[in-house]
Amino acid sequence: MIPGWETTPGRLYIVATLVPLAVVFLLAVAGMLRAWIRPLRKPGSWTETAFWMLGGDVPLRAGAYLSVAGMAVTAFLSLVGLAQFLTTSDPVEAVRWAEQWDWVRIGPVSDNPVGITASSQPAFPALALQVGYRIDALTAVLFAMVAVVALGIFIFALGYMAEETQEVVEDHEAQHQYHRDQSVRRRGRYGRFYLFLSLFCFAMLHLVIADNLFQIFVSWELVGVCSFWLIGFYQERPSASYAANKAFIMNRVGDAGFLVGIAIAWTQLGTLNLEEIFQRLRGVSASGGEVRYARIVTPADGKSSLPMLTGQEPETATYQVTAIREEATHVLVHPLVAVRSEDIPARLQISTQRNLQDYAVLPYWVWVVMGVGILLGCIGKSAQWPLHTWLPDAMEGPTPVSALIHAATMVAAGVYLVGRCYPLFAPEVLLITAYLGAVTAFLAASIALVQTDIKRVLAYSTCSQLGLMFLALGLGGWVAGLLHLLTHAFFKALLFLGAGSVIHACHHVQEMGRMGGLRRKMPITAYTMLVGVLAITGVPLLSGWYSKERILTQALGWGLYHPQHVLLWLLPWVTTVLTAYYMFRLWLLTFAGPPRDPEVYEQAQESPAVMTGPLIGLALLSVGGAWGWPIWEVEASGLAHVLEQAQPAMVREYATVTESGHHYHLLVTGLALLCTLAGAGLAYWWFGRFEVTGEQLQVRSRVGQVLRNKWYFDEIYDAAVLRPAVEIAQVVARTDKRPTEGEPSEPSGSGVPAEELLADEPPPRRYDWGTLDGWLNAVGDLAASGGEVLRRWQSGRLRWYVGTLALTAMLLLGMLTVWNR
Amino acid sequence: MAEVGLHAVLLLGAWVFVCGVACLALKRNALGVLMGVELVLNAANINLIAVAHYNPAFRLEGQIFALLVIVLAAAEAAVALAIILHYYNINATVDVDAAQQLRN
Repeated sequence: MIPGWETTPGRLYIVATLVPLAVVFLLAVAGMLRAWIRPLRKPGSWTETAFWMLGGDVPLRAGAYLSVAGMAVTAFLSLVGLAQFLTTSDPVEAVRWAEQWDWVRIGPVSDNPVGITASSQPAFPALALQVGYRIDALTAVLFAMVAVVALGIFIFALGYMAEETQEVVEDHEAQHQYHRDQSVRRRGRYGRFYLFLSLFCFAMLHLVIADNLFQIFVSWELVGVCSFWLIGFYQERPSASYAANKAFIMNRVGDAGFLVGIAIAWTQLGTLNLEEIFQRLRGVSASGGEVRYARIVTPADGKSSLPMLTGQEPETATYQVTAIREEATHVLVHPLVAVRSEDIPARLQISTQRNLQDYAVLPYWVWVVMGVGILLGCIGKSAQWPLHTWLPDAMEGPTPVSALIHAATMVAAGVYLVGRCYPLFAPEVLLITAYLGAVTAFLAASIALVQTDIKRVLAYSTCSQLGLMFLALGLGGWVAGLLHLLTHAFFKALLFLGAGSVIHACHHVQEMGRMGGLRRKMPITAYTMLVGVLAITGVPLLSGWYSKERILTQALGWGLYHPQHVLLWLLPWVTTVLTAYYMFRLWLLTFAGPPRDPEVYEQAQESPAVMTGPLIGLALLSVGGAWGWPIWEVEASGLAHVLEQAQPAMVREYATVTESGHHYHLLVTGLALLCTLAGAGLAYWWFGRFEVTGEQLQVRSRVGQVLRNKWYFDEIYDAAVLRPAVEIAQVVARTDKRPTEGEPSEPSGSGVPAEELLADEPPPRRYDWGTLDGWLNAVGDLAASGGEVLRRWQSGRLRWYVGTLALTAMLLLGMLTVWNR
Repeated sequence: MAEVGLHAVLLLGAWVFVCGVACLALKRNALGVLMGVELVLNAANINLIAVAHYNPAFRLEGQIFALLVIVLAAAEAAVALAIILHYYNINATVDVDAAQQLRN
């Protein structure tokens, strides 16, 4: 049914990715048609019927159902694809699951560069921008996770966003623009919500199946834009639009780094395709793909940098190939050939005119900068320190948005990219990743200790867990970090949806100081959230336990070899304690104890099945998602085995670290359990035993204030970055501002008041020398006044014309006679 | 009577030409301007006849050319008078200073 099904089964994924895009297109077209017909309708004509069919004034539920149906199709196809991939994959077959098409090609066609043996070299190396996909185990599993979790969230949002189906929605948290004492009344926006959600899903799925940095970047930006739209969904609230701006702009800061990384890859390595980049950096040898270094022996003259254009002979420099990192100045870049007939020579002549089929060298620092650039993109997207402040503010968006984008998928894109681009990072870059992850994990966990808004606690929890993933990846635990990504998606989405259920039942109260004792009114929500809390704290046999154990094992093993990096092996343990504490605090404050606000407690009731269904589904996944046989073996996890198939070969460099970690795995398990119990016990001691009033939740100590105010990072950024930028902008803006009419900034021209001018005299010109506008206008004005002087030649008097004619003729005649003498 | 030289007659022609151009430029009456045009054409004729008389290389060409010029002058005077008639119909005057439409 799909063309080429037998030879390229990966096309299933293309279909699955395009379904949400088709839904977006349909919804957008329907919306535009409706907006177009609305002013044109006349009662009784076809326009009225068409308008009614497209939803009329009431937001139609059909758009939402269409989105959910589309997502269900995508989820189904993703599971089919996953099953097929797992049953038929082996290294030889991998090529069936990838395809590339040329989009733009400059230069002669050299076909697939991987297929060429190094014989012919065209005068210009061909440059191509390609579009393609590549499915491996990581992609298949992640695709399935995104699709299934998104489906659950879509169904949940059918119930949560039900108030948007009304014709008029009253928003109590926004202020009317003109009538300050009224709240805002606006049309319901049900369809638009699902439009943005579907667009986001398309972009995320496309990011996962893309095989080159260009497509990943396009998806990167697209998910950022959808996040902006969805955070600012309640656009009448200034807090929401401020948060949306903050998220997008911080993402852009990271994307600037990403672009630097892409630029380096394009110019130095000649390709943006990830497989080709890895092959160029690490070669195709089966020994694990080590990076080879080079040391310069005879440098080139450095005269011409563009030999192709100037027609000179390309210059060559000689390099000594070495495997020792300490004496290297460059990194060896392998040619893109399929069959390597000989080993790497010890000495290389590298010309400045490089080809994709030649050896080349890359200065070491450029390699590091490329890695740091791509890492910056991931930092921005995954809200790691220092670009972390947008994530808590992003909770302004509706809770399904927080669940999908800011817990399970978009922030996971950064971690995914680090895992995907693992072979192109230098060891220094991985160390930076680990440090940033550790710092973020601790920082965010510490802030979550004292927050009272239920969504903020979960947001900081997400930030912290992402830090743990980055830490794991930086220490060589590739499978550990990505396994945690998958399990975290399940239980974090569960936690957010549970919070959404609570918020919905309490009529949009988000402060835990007004909740309490809700488990009697909302049992399903309470106990599924308990499952989520147990999973995130790493209670044995739940999905979070498998991934957390692996991360802690990796940290311990690494710490044995590099004890000088204290933070890297200490902070994950501290974070475990803190995580247990604040998660149990969240649960106990919300669901246990006596109710703190009687009104809220009276109104609360269990959410409808459309909302509790996904909760139960995600709870099941949180429990059994990472199970293997036997269950009590961390190493036996089924998901982990799937991920190990996609592990890049270079992870073998960290094999000794992982092995020594496994040696102590019982110690790790015991210690982790101890930390969890310590945190949980502390939470129970303070919040579970007796009544905690809302007043007691306020912090008064100095440390507590710092934590409460998020370590003042918002204020620091405001003073260090925002204020100077705004000041500079105002200085620049002054060059463009015009003074009000009648008051020139500098008095020039004649200061004659308007009443004293004669009737046919133009007013004296004013030149505004203070602004840029004034200078440009002055040029035009001077030309015009010059023209007015010249205009007097056209007097319209016949005798004047005749006289001028005669005089000119005589002058010419005189000139001719005089000069010809 | 002494023989006058060519340059004297040419000088006469030049003087008549200048008088004609002065009339063109200075007269306010449109008919006066027309008289100036006639003077200019006659000055040209004087030059032609003078050169034809004093230069033995030219036998009759100058005089025939002068006849053609006279014919053309007559035709052009007719056209000019028609224009002046239309001008008078519009402006109720033959004062050329009244034609201000091309001003500025």
